[in-house]
Amino acid sequence: MRKWKYVVVLWMAAMFLVPAAVLARDIAPFESTGWLEKNLKNPKVVVVDVRKPEEYAAGHIPGAVNVFYGSWAIKKGDLLNELPVDDDLRDVITSAGIEPSSWVVVTGKNAAVPDRWDSTRVAFTLKYAGVENVAILDGGYDKWVAEKKPVSTDKVVPKKKAYNGKFNKAVVVNKAYTLGALDKALIIDVRAPEFYKGEKKLDFVARAGRIKGAVNLPATLLFNPDGTYKDRAELEAIAKPVVGADLSREMITYCDTGKVCTSWWFVLTELLGYKNVKVYDGSSMEWMKDAMAPSAP
Amino acid sequence: MDCTFCHKGNNKEVDMVKAHQGIVKKPSDNLSLCGMCHKPVAENYQKSLHYTSAGQRHGVLGRFSEAEVKVFDEKVFERSCRACHASCGDCHVKSPAVGGLSIGLIEGHKYVKRNEGKTCAFCHGGRVYPEYTGEYSGSVDVHYQKGMMCVECHRKEELHGDGQAYRSKNQVKQRPKCTNCHKSGGEAKLTARISHEKHQGKASCQSCHSSGSYRQCYDCHPTGSKAKAEIYIGRNPRTMKELTTLRLIPTVRDTFAEAGISMEKFDTLPNYWDSAVHNIKKRTDRTRNCDNCHVERKDFLTKERLIPNGSRANESLIYNLGPIPIQR
Repeated sequence: MRKWKYVVVLWMAAMFLVPAAVLARDIAPFESTGWLEKNLKNPKVVVVDVRKPEEYAAGHIPGAVNVFYGSWAIKKGDLLNELPVDDDLRDVITSAGIEPSSWVVVTGKNAAVPDRWDSTRVAFTLKYAGVENVAILDGGYDKWVAEKKPVSTDKVVPKKKAYNGKFNKAVVVNKAYTLGALDKALIIDVRAPEFYKGEKKLDFVARAGRIKGAVNLPATLLFNPDGTYKDRAELEAIAKPVVGADLSREMITYCDTGKVCTSWWFVLTELLGYKNVKVYDGSSMEWMKDAMAPSAP
Repeated sequence: MDCTFCHKGNNKEVDMVKAHQGIVKKPSDNLSLCGMCHKPVAENYQKSLHYTSAGQRHGVLGRFSEAEVKVFDEKVFERSCRACHASCGDCHVKSPAVGGLSIGLIEGHKYVKRNEGKTCAFCHGGRVYPEYTGEYSGSVDVHYQKGMMCVECHRKEELHGDGQAYRSKNQVKQRPKCTNCHKSGGEAKLTARISHEKHQGKASCQSCHSSGSYRQCYDCHPTGSKAKAEIYIGRNPRTMKELTTLRLIPTVRDTFAEAGISMEKFDTLPNYWDSAVHNIKKRTDRTRNCDNCHVERKDFLTKERLIPNGSRANESLIYNLGPIPIQR
């Protein structure tokens, strides 16, 4: 009996410690290949493979639907990773057979670091579109194959049901909003330190440097050497000293093109329970083109 | 079959040099070899545009005098354009070499039925394929988005040929049409049905459903070409009846100057040609808002947008300058 009381007390303590957003989930933000293998036949699970159709055709996780990355993020003007118009995005989600109540597991290539952002950007887009349970397959398709788990070459054509999820528009902000939020929100630059410091820049970014006042939380810190995500405690230990412990503080993540910044957005929001994190997907491409936009150094 | 059946050489010889004597690197350049087992396909294929490259020849022929045609055939077509012809192996065994580079065997030395990403994507990798996948314009074609690859629309009967020696892809009967799959009258939305009815015969499907800019090449030969993304909507030069998406074909006045061809009839043909661009979307700026075409003429070919020193025939492709009434 005493043992049971101890368990109940521990459980209640956990309820206070773990943020509500995390508890609202039915699946973890990062699901393992082992979990997915066991849950492949669960009718709620939709595995979304964001690789190219050619790559999907050559082999994929059994039952996975293929919705290529370019369907989820489009070029608008000069900006490389922007959200599709709402009705187009609804069509994309419908075509994948996703419902608001689905448990969506996003998978893609994982061996090269830049490929990993495809999955985080798609996971972010699904959350934006109102899907509650979105997970990233930890280690991606490459880990699945390395573990010699079953693969299929059968194209999956999902049953379509018009997607009616409620879009969560507040998670994306534009340049004007970011300008107005500089004094109150914490701006998080997820690029490598040399880009944050202004020592390097990509060709298509007009000026080196960072948004004035931004802190640096590099996205490369998210991973173990094998390409899987670090665990919750490790990620919290990395994030907290940089972004603080106030879970309700407004934060805005950005990078160069609006893709990489979705990684820390996903971790902060979905794993660590920060409740007011936004993505500025115009990012440095847009900000640095404006000579009047406050920047440093 | 052992290797020597196709590649010749001598597989009984242990000395490498002697074993490789008489070796044939690309056996399928000789179609009769493949034709030993695949006779009907090989017979058709030798007259197909992929094999003859006749489209490249006939596309430019109209600009030449009779004397120039002879020079072109001898100095340009056989030495340059014809080098692009595809043999069976280029699509079924080894990725075709483009600019002298190939990624090698498609799947070991297996004969593959199709692998568009390693075959079509190379020869058609300048414009069509990267437009289709969104890598060029950032807007992926809706068919690629749904996992459709080239052969889903361009069936083997089109690619292998039907035994007719066509001069241009426009003559090929098996060429895909949007309406093969998307029958008009079956639209779910009334607005879509009315729009399709009103524009039938007046505007091609892609003139509304091309999602945006696609690759235009400028100033081809002898100095090399430049490319940039643009969209041009104008009259279809083949019919002059309907509006369509136009692509700049980069033949300029001195393209064949090195071969001594001045193109005496250069101005007979325009520089812009109808193009079934591969960046299709269900909804585009033009399907969302009629005013984009009917009021603003956004993306239309205009006199100001014509290339400098281009063909005099280009102006005929500019759609009328009066207002386009919207019939509501």
